Amino acid sequence: MTPSKTHPVVKAAMIVVGAVLLWSAQARADNPRIAQIKTAAGQVTIVRGGGNVAAKVGDFLYEKDVIQTGGDGSVGLTFTDNTAMSAGPDSEIALSEYRFDSSNFNGAMLTDMRRGTLAMVSGDIARSTPGAMRVKTPTAILGVRGTRFVVWVK
Amino acid sequence: MTLRYALLAAMLALTLSACASRQALFTVMPNPDGSAGAVTVDDGQKSMMLDWPWAAGEIVKGSARPVAMDQAQVDQIFGAALAARPILPSHFRLYFESDTDTLTPDSETKYKSVFEDIRQRKVYEVEVVGHTDTAGDLKYNQTLSLARANFIREKLVQDGLDRKSISVAGRGPLDPRVKTGPDVHEQMNRRVEITVR
Repeated sequence: MTPSKTHPVVKAAMIVVGAVLLWSAQARADNPRIAQIKTAAGQVTIVRGGGNVAAKVGDFLYEKDVIQTGGDGSVGLTFTDNTAMSAGPDSEIALSEYRFDSSNFNGAMLTDMRRGTLAMVSGDIARSTPGAMRVKTPTAILGVRGTRFVVWVK
Repeated sequence: MTLRYALLAAMLALTLSACASRQALFTVMPNPDGSAGAVTVDDGQKSMMLDWPWAAGEIVKGSARPVAMDQAQVDQIFGAALAARPILPSHFRLYFESDTDTLTPDSETKYKSVFEDIRQRKVYEVEVVGHTDTAGDLKYNQTLSLARANFIREKLVQDGLDRKSISVAGRGPLDPRVKTGPDVHEQMNRRVEITVR
C-alpha cells in the first residue's frame, strides 16, 4: 500500500465526517439568530433542544427556543424585524415560528404565550403583512396589526 | 353584621371570583403619539377587535369578552414586564456627496446622534445598508454603496464600537428613496440606512 492510498475504512469514516459537517452547517443555515436578549434580571432560562441554559444580556435566540422566568425574573429582547418583547416573573414563552427577510420585510411570527406577563411593541413583520404576527395563548389566538400590547396568561 | 357589610362582602367575593376565573387578559397600549394599532382576539368561536388605546379583552371559561382597563391597572399587572422592555430600535439616514463615500456636512453632524444612540445601549446590533442614485453603471454603484456602508462601520469602530455587532450591505441603486429614471443624480438616494437595536 503506497502512502497516497487511503484505507477503505478511513475513506468511509471521512465520508461520514464530511456528511455530518455538511449536515451541521445546513442546520446552522436553517436556524439563524432571530433575537438578542437586551435586558435580564433574576432567574431567566432558555430551553433549547431539551437542554436548559441560564440566559444573559447579549445572548442570541433561535426559532423554537423557550424562555422561562423565575419568581424574581424578567427579560427583554429585540427581534431582527425590530419587534421588542419583554416578560415579567413566572412567565413561559415559546418562540414557535419566526422568519423574516430584511430585504423585503416579508415574514411571519408565532409566539406561544404559555403563562405569565408579556409586553410587545410590534416591528416590520406586523407592519408589512397584516396577520403575519400572531400570539397564541392556551385559550385564544391574537392577530397583531402594528401596535403595542400586553398579554397576561394564568 | 349589618346588611351593608354583608352586601360589601358579597360584592368583593364576586369581584375576586371574576378575577380568579379569568384565564387570559389582553390590552392594547397607546403609541407615544396617542394613537393605537389593533389586536384581534379569536377564542375559536368568535373574533373580537381591540383597536383603541387601553382597549382590553379577557378570556373567561374559554370565551372572549371586553373588559375595562386603564393605565393604572396595566401598570399594576404588567409593571415588571414593561420595566424589562429594551430600548426600542432606532432608524437613521445619512447622506453622501455625489460619487463619494464622504458624508454631507448635515449628515456629518447627524452622525453624532447615531453614535450616541448606539452608545447608550448595553448590547447592540447595527445594520448599515448603503445606497446610490442611478448615475453611473450598476456594478460601479453596487461597489460604491458597499463602500458607503463600510465607511460608516469604520467610523463607528474608530469611535470605539464593536465591529462584530455592525453588519454592512450595499444595494446600489436598487432600493431608491426617490424613484428616478436611469442616470439621474439624486441627493436623496445617495445614502446609508442605519438600524440600531
